[in-house]
Amino acid sequence: MTIREKGYSHWDGCLSARPRPWWPITRMGIGLMLKKKPFRFFYYGGFIPALAFLIGIYISERIEDFRYLTRGSQKILEVNPAYFKAYFTSDFLLFMLVVLLAVGGAGLISEDLASNSLQLYFSRPLKKRDYLFGKAAVLAFFILTLTLIPGLFFVVFKLLFSGSFNFLSAFPWLPLSIIGYSGLATVFFSLYGLCFSSLSKNRRYVSLLIFALYLLSDLLASIFYDNSKNPVLTLLSLKINLQQVGAGIFKQKPPFPVPWLWSLFVLIVLASAFLFFLRRKVRGVEVVK
Amino acid sequence: MTTVIETVKLSKWYGSVLGLSDVSLKIEPGIVGLLGPNGAGKSTFLKLVTGLLKPSLGSVSVFGEKIIGNYRLFARIGFCPEQDSFYDEMTGWEFLTGLMRLHGYSAAESRRRATHALETVELTKDRDRMIRAYSRGMRQRLKFAQAIAHDPDLMIMDEPLSGLDPLTKRKLIRLIKNFKAEGKTVVVSSHILPEIEALTQTIILIHQGKVFAQGDIHVIRDLIESHPHLISIKCDDPRRLASHFLRAPDVLKIHFGSDGRSLLLETNNRDQFFGRLTAVLAEGRFAVEEITSPDDNLQAVFDYLIEK
Amino acid sequence: MMIEVRDLHFSYGRIRALEGVSLSLNEGAVGLLGPNGAGKSTLLRILLGFLAPQKGEGRVLDYDIRREQAEIRRSVGYMPEDDCWIAGLDAVRFVAYFGELSGMPRREAIKRAHDVLFYVGLGEARYRMIETYSIGMKQRLKLAQAIVHDPRLLFLDEPTSNLDPQGRKEILELIKDISSAKNIQVLISSHILPDIEAVCSAVVILNQGRLAAEGNIQSLRELRFRLYETKIKGDGGVFRNRLEENGWRVEETEDGLTKIFLPEEANIVDLFRAAAETGVQIRHLVRSRTSLEDLFARTVGVD
Repeated sequence: MTIREKGYSHWDGCLSARPRPWWPITRMGIGLMLKKKPFRFFYYGGFIPALAFLIGIYISERIEDFRYLTRGSQKILEVNPAYFKAYFTSDFLLFMLVVLLAVGGAGLISEDLASNSLQLYFSRPLKKRDYLFGKAAVLAFFILTLTLIPGLFFVVFKLLFSGSFNFLSAFPWLPLSIIGYSGLATVFFSLYGLCFSSLSKNRRYVSLLIFALYLLSDLLASIFYDNSKNPVLTLLSLKINLQQVGAGIFKQKPPFPVPWLWSLFVLIVLASAFLFFLRRKVRGVEVVK
Repeated sequence: MTTVIETVKLSKWYGSVLGLSDVSLKIEPGIVGLLGPNGAGKSTFLKLVTGLLKPSLGSVSVFGEKIIGNYRLFARIGFCPEQDSFYDEMTGWEFLTGLMRLHGYSAAESRRRATHALETVELTKDRDRMIRAYSRGMRQRLKFAQAIAHDPDLMIMDEPLSGLDPLTKRKLIRLIKNFKAEGKTVVVSSHILPEIEALTQTIILIHQGKVFAQGDIHVIRDLIESHPHLISIKCDDPRRLASHFLRAPDVLKIHFGSDGRSLLLETNNRDQFFGRLTAVLAEGRFAVEEITSPDDNLQAVFDYLIEK
Repeated sequence: MMIEVRDLHFSYGRIRALEGVSLSLNEGAVGLLGPNGAGKSTLLRILLGFLAPQKGEGRVLDYDIRREQAEIRRSVGYMPEDDCWIAGLDAVRFVAYFGELSGMPRREAIKRAHDVLFYVGLGEARYRMIETYSIGMKQRLKLAQAIVHDPRLLFLDEPTSNLDPQGRKEILELIKDISSAKNIQVLISSHILPDIEAVCSAVVILNQGRLAAEGNIQSLRELRFRLYETKIKGDGGVFRNRLEENGWRVEETEDGLTKIFLPEEANIVDLFRAAAETGVQIRHLVRSRTSLEDLFARTVGVD
């Protein structure tokens, strides 16, 4: 039997390229975010609308049982695409997503900048796009769980409670709309949060900027609209753009008399701008000074 | 020898955190190395000596006067701190001339002094660039320049050579030695023991808020009785050489090197040992290559004094 | 050969960073020296697989420096000069995370993180948050994340900066131990020459984009004639006269050293005889070599 020698020992495994090099970053990011109490509070709070709408689906199916509540008005709760649109474009949900960006997402890249750990990341065989994708996936996870997952749940529950596939045959495009809108929201908000996070080493400053863009854009739009009554000016507001697109995707009438494709265009342009600045900021990292 | 700095039972604590405890010492002209582990109290000591802190107990006087609030005395002291904080939007030139004006020199005199100081640290060609564009080494040199530009009699330098490449270090070491030759006093605090050794043989070692040793490194080493001196000898026949010392009462241990050409002895009386060694080697039966004292250096002194 | 490169050239726009550098390095510790702006960082970026040279080629760890950069980076460990951490993590998770990012499977990364943290002396503290670490501990942590994936090429950038004497000594010992392990090449960049001397067996000196000196430290520092540095106790004047009577040259330095030039035909024994006869003890005798500092100054062409 030999004794273990003190001193440096080698590892007997072998290093290999992994199929998803960004995965440890995403896993770590999600873990770190969920550790923070404020984040957990707002994240779980973001499920309140989903819960409410789920109960609404239940009620609408059992409307006979609840007839005593309605006293006459029949169609108080009909589950149709308008219902879905109401969930996905509710002020509360959209604002919650922005809060999550500010409370959790702000630190994603800005903390790495402040703690100088980018040089540790990039001294590994990690491409810049893996790093960015891994970070974006953290935000995407939380956003998808608040949009796509509840959306699909609603469909499933509706089918379960109504006991038939009538709903789906009536609106076969609905699941695609859900996926489409969730995807758009996820990509947009992830890039939004990540871009701002890369702008400064100061996490609180980034949070402030994230809120500022969302709230101020809405404020400006409503000021200009109130003044001139020109609906195109509402495209200044991020919130309104999202709501326009949501309405369009769910085949409802948009809240403002502006084509929803214009709103989609604005969102795409913004998202591209976010991506552009994001890549530029992280490009400046040099390993080995 | 006039005493430049004198402290009497100097103590300082921050709330319940101890900085320095009961330090009484005198510093004379020349170069003194100040060393100690992190948190030992070195920065506290330097801040007390430069009047940036008030003592909790005891007193500190510089050039015979109390330093606290003594603005006239500040003109005779140059301080090169460890921290790096400059007005990044200024150029090196603006910074240095500005500081000189603050000292009360006329505009022309300030310019003259700034020019001279910048030349000394070799920043002349970069003087009109903004400090924001300076590299680490340049910032360090600027710090050095502002500490010497007003021709102080006492220089307090906290890690003055950090971030500098070896050649610049050499030049600045020579410069500091020139100050000593001019009769000035320099107190250098550093973690890099070989750099202190290159500057001076006189040290003050601070640990746990107290002065553990003060004076010449070799004298201190001699005083450390718990660690007998190590002598390393490289020769062709170490075992035969060792046989001459087996009966010597001052030799405590003999250790043979694994290469078969060296031995390490421990002795508690160097005088007796070296007397015997020189005599033995003069007989001419050994081909000796090297004689050294591996623990007669600052690192060993530091270790022996600090160890628990 | 761990590193074998020929004729590397690289320019950033009009700034020529490297102009024809060729190197051959083996296992062990190599010191990388040079004034600022000499091209060190550029050379390192090429050797560590972050940059492709514009001209010239070579192999590092047996991978081509142009075509197989990702493989090189996989086997490279980097210990940066400045502070770096990740908020909210303890040491084990921090080190394991970066091990995973280097390509280790998760469980292996965790296991090895523990081993490596014990090795660098952070065993007791490894479950604590890294924000609570002292400077010395953070330095060791940086070293730990650099070696967790068992790299074959390890680059240490100013590994002893900001450490107190105790910390410096301990880090240098760790580096010496790692350098003596098989199958690993250690490159150290430092301005503190005594550290390089303590740890490295070879040295590479760059200046203005070219190689100014390269080789084994011992042989680079050898002097061709026999010059001895001595420290004596006793009457130096009489001793010196005695030696000069023999026709030897004697110099005294300001540090209290006596330098003695021994001619070819003389024997070192004569030195001791002269000492014994004049009642002087010889307490220190070392064959003089150029100091690393002088070597640096000579090769960089200033002074």
